[in-house]
Amino acid sequence: MDSRIVSYGLQYAGYLIEASLLFYLARSRERKGLATPAFYLSSLLAAEAARAWVLHAYGKASERYFYVYWSTDFLLVISAFILVCLFFRRACLQEEKIWRFARLLLVFVFVIVLGISGLIFSHNYSGPVLNFYYFVFEFNQNLYFACLVLNTLLYLLLQQIESTDDQLGLLVCGVGIQFAGPAATLALVHLTSAGRFALSLNSYAIPLCTLGMLLVWAYAIVRVRDKETRVARHKIPAFAEVTAD
Amino acid sequence: MILALLILILSTALFFFYFQVTCQKILHRQFDREYFQSIANANRLEFPSLRKSLEEFGAPVDYSRLRMMLKCDFLALTYLLKNAANVNQRYSYDERLLILYFRWQFLSLAVRRLLKVGENKAILRLTSVLQYFANVVGQRVNAVKFGNLTAADYLLNL
Repeated sequence: MDSRIVSYGLQYAGYLIEASLLFYLARSRERKGLATPAFYLSSLLAAEAARAWVLHAYGKASERYFYVYWSTDFLLVISAFILVCLFFRRACLQEEKIWRFARLLLVFVFVIVLGISGLIFSHNYSGPVLNFYYFVFEFNQNLYFACLVLNTLLYLLLQQIESTDDQLGLLVCGVGIQFAGPAATLALVHLTSAGRFALSLNSYAIPLCTLGMLLVWAYAIVRVRDKETRVARHKIPAFAEVTAD
Repeated sequence: MILALLILILSTALFFFYFQVTCQKILHRQFDREYFQSIANANRLEFPSLRKSLEEFGAPVDYSRLRMMLKCDFLALTYLLKNAANVNQRYSYDERLLILYFRWQFLSLAVRRLLKVGENKAILRLTSVLQYFANVVGQRVNAVKFGNLTAADYLLNL
């Protein structure tokens, strides 16, 4: 089977799950704690819709597609960073002291990534178009890896404070799968100087990891919440006369 | 070059770590009661006794027999997951993930056996996946009313 068909298949399955999850979140009554995944899912969908529209209207070789692709990539990485920050906030809701430290750490990491990317960018000045590409590529790569490290710190923090928020634990694991897989394959592409095997692995890994994250999120949102609702319903006191009937 | 290698090693390790943690979190799901024992009895599955012997005595039975036991239980339970009281006649996505996890652990058991490290840990993980599957099957069967049939009777007539 053509590898591109498999890759497109995985991609379209991802879009379908993203849209279904968003629809589910929009329809559900209890939205507590679910605004963060909804925000990330919306940015994923918006970026994909914008890319698809520009690709359809101007073609893959056009300059507009180039700018839209890298701009949406930039926005997606920023959304991923915001997602990790919001997960940190949710984890530290009862731990104000840790949140104050985490907030400083998040700002520090962002500034460091911006500084390193700026430094590399200043060494690679090659005209406005390539300039834009160099900065966005470098910044995205660095911030993406920083998000993976921060997400792992968040997982460790959840273990440390013995968090009972099962849903958050699963959401964090999903994000970990989404960040770690592509980071590994992109590093392999870099190491093999864009070798054929690495490129082919990369074309599968990115949609597969996104799909993995979406499925874990779907489990966390639908199943874990369903369980919590059932437990909550169980706790509602019933009047004696009602139960007697 | 060194940085890329470092990122490759770290990211690959983290990917497998998150995969394992996700599966463990799904396996920790609480069932309203223990269904697995009746399912194991009805189908003569051997994983509960294997788990018990490992937890109590710490020594597994001979390796080839152990592999066969785990494989047979896995095949029986995946068949039941798909066909017993399952209207859609297909696995859910968390079940698919756990099937993948079982296969991965099965492979890891062979590697651990070669290296002689943490063999029992892998066996316990494999039995916990089987226990989860048995619990899911039991819960499904229990949810469907079969007149006077118990879960075990239903499975025996399948």
